[in-house]
Formats: sequence, C-alpha cells, structure tokens
Amino acid sequence: MFEIELTDTGHIAVVGRLDAAQAVKAQEFLDQIDGQCVLDLSRLDYISSAGLGVLLKTHKRLMDSHQGIKLINVNHHIHDIFRYSGFDKLFEIVPASS
Amino acid sequence: MEQKFSRNFDELKNIVAMTEAFFRQRGLPAGLRNVVDLASEELFVNMVTYNTESDEDILIQMVPCGHGIKVSLTDYDVERFDPTSAGIVDVDAPLSERTPGGLGLYLVLKMVDSIHYEYRNRQSKITFICEQDIEHV
Repeated sequence: MFEIELTDTGHIAVVGRLDAAQAVKAQEFLDQIDGQCVLDLSRLDYISSAGLGVLLKTHKRLMDSHQGIKLINVNHHIHDIFRYSGFDKLFEIVPASS
Repeated sequence: MEQKFSRNFDELKNIVAMTEAFFRQRGLPAGLRNVVDLASEELFVNMVTYNTESDEDILIQMVPCGHGIKVSLTDYDVERFDPTSAGIVDVDAPLSERTPGGLGLYLVLKMVDSIHYEYRNRQSKITFICEQDIEHV
C-alpha cells in the first residue's frame, strides 16, 4: 500500500511503502509541487533506492529556486536508510519524537 | 520456501508477502524485515532492469540461517553481472553532484551481513544473509 497526499496542515503525507513499483506515482505527485515542501514521513514504513531517487530529484529541482524538501517525523529505520545514503547531509531531517 | 516471480515491478508486493510469510513461519525477528525487504527489492529490480535479454521468471529462495535468513535470487539465461562489484557511491558528495540511481546495490552491500555471487550455465545467482545481532536475540 502506498499513498501520497496533501494534508490540512499543508504538509505532504507519504504513507506505506515507497518502492520501485510506487516511485512513478510519487514522482508524478511531487512534480506538481512548487516552493517549500514538507514531507511528513510518520506513516512511511519502507523506502528503497527508487524512493530515494524521487526525493533527490524533487529536492534538486526545488533547490534551484532556493526551496527544497524538509523531511519530518522520520522513524528510526527510514533515518538509517537516509544516513547510509548520505541524505542526512543533503536534507533537513526532523526525526520522529519517540 | 521458494517462489518464482515474473519480471515486473508489480511483483514486489508478492515478494514482500513471501518474506512476511517466511518470517511468520520461522518466528524471525521483525527488526530484520526492512533490510531483507530492501535487499530483495534492490536485487530483483536490478535483474529486471538490466537483464533484459531474458523472459524467464526469477526464482527467490529463503532458508533459515543462524538467527536470521539466507535469501537467493536466481536469474536464468542472462549475461554475467556481479552486483557485489558494483561501483562505489560517494555519499558525501554535495547535492549538485548527486544523481538519482546507483544507490540500490550500494545500500545492499552496506546493510546485509554477507553476500555472494555465482554465475554458471547462464544462470546468475546472488545470495545474501541477514542475521540478528546476537545481543538482540
């Protein structure tokens, strides 16, 4: 299961498993976003390199206009993937509180 | 446990279901799941993406191994490609030098406990092992 949607707070909720089968859906959604982009990953269970590619491509596009992606509520496992990938040096990341 | 999968990303959900069933059946620690899912996906996707000369299904086998799991993926009628010799990704590079792609095999090599490649009779077989840290068992 994978969903990506705009929330009432103006954040973008990324939910479920962002794998190679869902990367196109995520990319198509994020391609429509302009300006500062806050992704709420509190309900993201899993991400693979295909999902990382989507985040990186979108971040680079938005950074061209000095915006970019902020990742919030990042759980321990997803944070490990970001750390191994060096994404913790590229993105502003706010870990989950617990 | 073993199962064949067609060369389609839509099969990823079925690979996850197979892994889930194996973990449940064997009582393996949930903490291993994400690494096993990640390695299985990256290796399967790599085979589907680059071994385009084959129409054969890809075989995935799972067996218990110590406090963890050994997973093999076998691709039939393909050229040799050893994922364990994949290029190094500079994860310290600045954003301007980072490009999507290349991270999958890097993550696999970084996160699994061991990995082995063999190629024989046009069959490409990659096997990885993930084990729970003994202090967490």
